[in-house]
Amino acid sequence: MKRMADPAKVLLERLMRLLRWRLWIQEKLQPTEWQITLMWAAVAGFTGAMSSMLFSVLAEGIHELLTGRSEGVVETMRLLPWWAVIGVPAAGGLLAGLTLALGKRIVRGQSSTDYMEAIVIGSGEIPVRTSLIKSAAALFSIGSGGSIGREGPMVQIAAVLASLIGRWRKFSPPQLRLLVACGAASGIASAYNAPIAGSFFVAEIILGTIAMESLGPLAVSAVVAALTVRGLTDAQQLYDVPPFKLSSAWEMIPYIVLGLIAGTLAPWFLRSLRRAEKWFVATSVPPIARLVLGGIIVGDLAVFYPEVAGNGYSVVVGILNGHVPWLALIGIMLAKWVATAASFGSGAPGGVFTPALFMGASAGYLFGTAVNMFWPTGAADPQAFALVGMGAFLSAASYAPVMAVIMLFEMTLSYDIILPLLLCSVIAYFTAKGLQGESLYSESLRRKAAETPRAALPAGNVRDLMKQNPPAVPTTARFAEIARMFLSVRVNNIYVTGKDGRFLGAVALHDIKPYLGDADLAGLVIANDIMREDFPRIGPDQSLSDALGGFLGQPLERLPVIDPDTGKLLGSLSKSDLLLALVEKRQKPTA
Amino acid sequence: MLDLAVNSRETALRTLHGALAAHPAVADGERLLRDVLERVMLAPVCIAPEVALPHARTDAVTNLVLGVARIAAPGVGFDGEHPHVRLMFLIGAPRSAVDDYLRLVANISRVLKKEGTYAALLDAPDEHVFRAILARAAAA
Repeated sequence: MKRMADPAKVLLERLMRLLRWRLWIQEKLQPTEWQITLMWAAVAGFTGAMSSMLFSVLAEGIHELLTGRSEGVVETMRLLPWWAVIGVPAAGGLLAGLTLALGKRIVRGQSSTDYMEAIVIGSGEIPVRTSLIKSAAALFSIGSGGSIGREGPMVQIAAVLASLIGRWRKFSPPQLRLLVACGAASGIASAYNAPIAGSFFVAEIILGTIAMESLGPLAVSAVVAALTVRGLTDAQQLYDVPPFKLSSAWEMIPYIVLGLIAGTLAPWFLRSLRRAEKWFVATSVPPIARLVLGGIIVGDLAVFYPEVAGNGYSVVVGILNGHVPWLALIGIMLAKWVATAASFGSGAPGGVFTPALFMGASAGYLFGTAVNMFWPTGAADPQAFALVGMGAFLSAASYAPVMAVIMLFEMTLSYDIILPLLLCSVIAYFTAKGLQGESLYSESLRRKAAETPRAALPAGNVRDLMKQNPPAVPTTARFAEIARMFLSVRVNNIYVTGKDGRFLGAVALHDIKPYLGDADLAGLVIANDIMREDFPRIGPDQSLSDALGGFLGQPLERLPVIDPDTGKLLGSLSKSDLLLALVEKRQKPTA
Repeated sequence: MLDLAVNSRETALRTLHGALAAHPAVADGERLLRDVLERVMLAPVCIAPEVALPHARTDAVTNLVLGVARIAAPGVGFDGEHPHVRLMFLIGAPRSAVDDYLRLVANISRVLKKEGTYAALLDAPDEHVFRAILARAAAA
């Protein structure tokens, strides 16, 4: 029998060859759903790093636009005439206020979900326009020298981009939340050039777990972000510090006291910020005027203490390197405290992460200097106390001691300090927790969760998690059609349904794999001939743990969800979604 | 079976099925026929202009069964595109034997593709030679 060179047949053979290749690659590389999640985490890391760098550039651009100078914020404030020192932050406040007011008109009705809410109590979706407007306003408050950190908006934008990617790829809510968390991790990793801290920040503070299911993607995202930043800029560790060493074990005693101090100061600091916010609201002036007022306060303080302007980074570097005299630091610290309260309280969008580091460094340095005066052996090097103070303060403010220790280590690359840092951070954490029940982040989250009517609770049964419209074919679908579908969607089983939508069975890629090269089969065999009727299935109202039982002993990535009454195919449940949901559920048993 | 003198697809199938039904692996002959006929209605079963593989995965058989028939010229029409089918391979496969079924179908298609096999099968003077040609081609 002669073979015909029928173009349709040639095409079919090519198609089959393509599918065989795909299968070969798939078998060699075995990209499971987890690997795909990791890949998207890497993409989120890259976009997060790019957006963070863009934000930095824009903030510097606005700073230059407003002041006509390209030096750092503190240096600029030193060089500007007094009226400009007051005027620039006030103008920044005005512009930020106008942006927010204008934005409110554009996005009327859109909620102002931030990334933490999206991950903890939401579905992982973050409103894009609201976030962009807030970030644009943040550019003005930061560029004009407001005493506020830039990491907040950076992380928010990185998370928004991740959320967009996840929505585009139609991720399930647990996967989407995880991807948003990856975006946030990449934002922190690129803002502080601290990939480990970036992943742990999100894991510890937002997800509340360091289970590998979530930490793995976070780490990938953070590493990619850090690599991107390092590849495109000459980023080094954030704080260049002289080498420290623990001169004697006696030093641990003052460090313990420092832990107690930081653990006491941090809740005060946070409470004062909230009180300032209440005070500004109570003045009942319109929000724009509040922002201008906040700017004027920061400007007034900057006339005497230029160091209060900006997030405080350069001053911290000065403290750590011993360039700031302790007497001057007392005034600077108090002024910075008031300035941060003014910026934050007036509603300037931005973060308080870096200002918190500033407070910790100042407190540590002042305490170290005081001890050194009376007991030189107890605090040989006050700068080391500044460094440890930063970590302790951060730990107490964020309630994430592990992240704080790692972040300090990554930002300074000073390993010698790790022993006092670890001890001090833990003590500060427990002190703060004893004084006040909630962290920098938990209070606002709890408030928001209470007022969100449809706060996305962890999924309770299969229906909440299943994906609709899984790949399915009718019983008469030809082998070629099935093969084509396997090529276009990444599944190992294609479901077969009857005319009425009833689930009849599944065609397994595994079964047809050896025959993909056979063009005769392509036209002869139909789904009905090769489907497996005994394919495992689950019902929509089964609990998640029951569903997990359905996966046990099966090498399946997905299970079809079948209506028990009608037998119709409703959707499919993926194993990775199920595992993520179970991890989430374990974190929030009461929700 | 060689040189079935039949004039329709259904008679061809019924005749070959009649010979196959006695096989010990066929638990329910009626059902096998019904399932095969149903399958033939559902979608075409030809792999070459003159070769048909009517088949069914069915509970009617306990093991894979195969019946082969050569139809006298000019053959019977299986569908619009295959009006002169001369060779017919009737397959009954247990529901769970997806793999065995696919292997058998692939083997038949491979055997028939072998240069000269098809012509030799058509020319085979008796069942003995016919079987020998099939066996030889399958073993090669």
